[in-house]
Amino acid sequence: MSHKRTAGDYGVPAKRARRDDDEYLDVADEDDVIPASPPDTGADSGLVPRGATINFSALKSKLAALAKDDRDPADMSSLEMHRRKQDELVSKKFGNEDFSSLRLKPDHAARPLWISPEDGHIILEAFSPLAEQAQDFLTAISEPVSRPAFIHEYKITAYSLYAAVSVGLQTEDIIEVPVPDAIVDFIRNRTLSYGKVKLVLKHNKYFVESSHPETLQFLLKDRTIREARCVSAPVDSSIKSSTFTTSKAPVRGNLVIPGTSKEPDKNDGTMIRPNPTDAELFTSVVGVESDEIEEDDDDVHSFQIDDTKIDDVKKRCNELEHPMLEEYDFRNDTINPNLDIDLKPATVIRPYQETSLSKMFGNGRARSGIIVLPCGAGKTLVGITAACTVKKSTLVLCTSSVSVMQWRQQFMQWSNITDRQIAVFTADQKEKFAGDSGIVVSTYSMVANTHNRSHDSKKMMEFLTSREWGFILLDEVHVVPAAMFRRVVTTIKAHSKLGLTATLVREDDKIADLNYMIGPKLYEANWMDLAAKGHIANVQCAEVWCPMTPEFYREYLREQSRKRMLLYCMNPNKFQACQFLIKYHEGRGDKVIVFSDNVYALEAYAKHLGKPYIHGATGQVERMRILSHFQHSPLVNTIFLSKVGDTSIDLPEATCLIQISSHFGSRRQEAQRLGRILRAKRRNDEGFNAFFYSLVSKDTQEMYYSTKRQQFLIDQGYSFKVITHLDGLDDLPDLAYRTRDEQIELLSSVLLANEQDAALGADVKASEGDLQGTVTSVDFGGPASGRFPGFSRTTGSLQALSGAQHMAYVEQNKSTNKKLAREPPARHKLFSKRDKVQATARKEARAAGSSMARP
Amino acid sequence: MKAIRGILLTCDPAVKQILLALNEQKSFIIEDLDDYHLVIRADDEVAIRRMLEDELEKNTYTLE
Repeated sequence: MSHKRTAGDYGVPAKRARRDDDEYLDVADEDDVIPASPPDTGADSGLVPRGATINFSALKSKLAALAKDDRDPADMSSLEMHRRKQDELVSKKFGNEDFSSLRLKPDHAARPLWISPEDGHIILEAFSPLAEQAQDFLTAISEPVSRPAFIHEYKITAYSLYAAVSVGLQTEDIIEVPVPDAIVDFIRNRTLSYGKVKLVLKHNKYFVESSHPETLQFLLKDRTIREARCVSAPVDSSIKSSTFTTSKAPVRGNLVIPGTSKEPDKNDGTMIRPNPTDAELFTSVVGVESDEIEEDDDDVHSFQIDDTKIDDVKKRCNELEHPMLEEYDFRNDTINPNLDIDLKPATVIRPYQETSLSKMFGNGRARSGIIVLPCGAGKTLVGITAACTVKKSTLVLCTSSVSVMQWRQQFMQWSNITDRQIAVFTADQKEKFAGDSGIVVSTYSMVANTHNRSHDSKKMMEFLTSREWGFILLDEVHVVPAAMFRRVVTTIKAHSKLGLTATLVREDDKIADLNYMIGPKLYEANWMDLAAKGHIANVQCAEVWCPMTPEFYREYLREQSRKRMLLYCMNPNKFQACQFLIKYHEGRGDKVIVFSDNVYALEAYAKHLGKPYIHGATGQVERMRILSHFQHSPLVNTIFLSKVGDTSIDLPEATCLIQISSHFGSRRQEAQRLGRILRAKRRNDEGFNAFFYSLVSKDTQEMYYSTKRQQFLIDQGYSFKVITHLDGLDDLPDLAYRTRDEQIELLSSVLLANEQDAALGADVKASEGDLQGTVTSVDFGGPASGRFPGFSRTTGSLQALSGAQHMAYVEQNKSTNKKLAREPPARHKLFSKRDKVQATARKEARAAGSSMARP
Repeated sequence: MKAIRGILLTCDPAVKQILLALNEQKSFIIEDLDDYHLVIRADDEVAIRRMLEDELEKNTYTLE
């Protein structure tokens, strides 16, 4: 087919450019093409196209018939000609599946959505004017798979429906619009059981709660659950609904999330409302609020279960397909002391942060679940605000001891919590807070550790496990291994859990585990939306293809080990591209960060280009000095960072990012690195763009990894431009490695490099308490790398080494780190002299004192 | 007098390096002209193209 198209292209134009008065494919015709589509119910079903399954052979014959209807190229407008040319370019790619000659229905504009009946995928035309309203609803009931600029893809899964029910949607709300029968059945089956049962900690007792007594009866028929039940009332052998405690359903009432405005008519309980006329159509579907009103009249039935058997019950409920929602009625909790914490009055939270929190506190209780926000969009503030709403003792768990300190600092910055109420539990610091309630910040591995602990840690753990926590905040929740997580969840008694993450992806597919261990995904922000509204920076992404030089490529093909990586990092063409981009962006007034996972390449680039660099072995003082120079000095506009910069260094000045080497195909690292420039200070300037370059050596494995890494960002709607040639590169006056000799010299030094030098991220040592497999440690899923610092032995005469053989050493390729101005110049002579006098006076006085004491 | 039918192959330097590496397994290059040009045996052309395609495909990421 593809062949036929290309051959007959001029005679058979693609029918994209069509006249409106053309007769279109009649509906009656179509019925033999598209069998058994769900009933189309008139104008209000405009959201759903009738197309269900496509009969390919029937379509093809139709297509062939249509193809005969060709038009004279002469009577086409220039736009049509242009379109046709474009179509011809891509039509080859699709081969048999090129349907561009089919005509669209006349009302296609009113049908921006298609639901696949087989796998629950939903395709949405995001450019349709109706799309914005549909998006809110679709994100509530399904998982966004991919959201580029024009066509969005969503998927209805069991978990997404679970999440939908948990934020208060009912089955009937979800299938209001006509949908394929298969999907209706799927939704009905799933929502039937989901969210019917809630696990509530009330007065420090666990209750299984439901507004459907028959569901509770069903659960109680199960042996495990029956045994776990605490019976306080006189035992009745037959289980009747009368034995359930009945109470009023919760109302959102006057709960106000701190930081949100307190206008009474502002409905922060619902998602962003569309304008009133269209609202009628959507409130019935989207409105969370109306469900709650309805629910007010219902009575809630519950029975109590034994604290110790809570895990068994949860597990059993999952097996019975009645997963329990965990909710915490924190306002009625009188047992656990309140924590006096509030956001500082100056703190303002953004609309999307408010939306995410309102999903969590929708009915006046705290729901457990996960909130997904891009890096730099203020996840920490969401966590802190949630803690300020719950106002109970809070445990914060993060991945490394560096982020422990960051969380603590953020709490102090945004809320009115005092130094004494917030404690840190890491390998170095073991504090307890003063008073009855407070906040503890720790790492996952400190809490989940099962090995021997020091005395202090043991005591601290006893403190953590002995008490009840109102709220547990789980940072970077996607990186935590399931086993470790289970240990944390079972040892620590917490009423509600909130997971925070930017990238709900893993290279292994363990994401689904989180759904039942923490809870459903409550909210996922759309990156492109946030960028459009100025909450995160607009980023232009580009992949720069650098051809390998023949010499480097020959060695690359020969080499089978990890040294290959070193060869494609050190590719002279890449070096030149990097130099050019730095120069270009410095000229524009950008602050540039260059990332390299490979320390050898990092040092080589930085030294050659005369830029300061930071990697794992850089001392703390030096680091601080370089960072402050980067932030404040107009002379230092570029720094080179290794893996250490992925997460723990915050640089809001940076506006341009260049990546020269990275960790294989890690999608998370790519997203995290992009996050470094998303919070750029200048993001609200008119027409401001941040830049993200990925330098890739052509024809190497790097091409494969690079494409893989981009997948996550592409799904978020970013597009990567491919740059094959940098204009003006050859005219750069002091271009590095311009001649072949220089290149060969570079090659020989690369070949001499140690095996260890080829390792990625070898500079960053995980400290105790850091989570294995996070970016800060070496084990990142890749092949095991040399853990020990490399050393070499050489023989030489003592004479030679001491310089007696007329040897002199000069440091050629000096690190710029050393050249940066150190501390401010010494004090004035007058003062230093006075200091000296004072010091000697003190010394004498001390000497005199001790000699007095001795006799 | 023995004659071999050859084909002039124009390629970029990287592909040439791949071909040189392949040549070590099974000799097919008659003459190495410069960075962009090679003369190879005409009989092997199809096989060489396929091998080259496989080699390049290794560096391409597909969703499946």
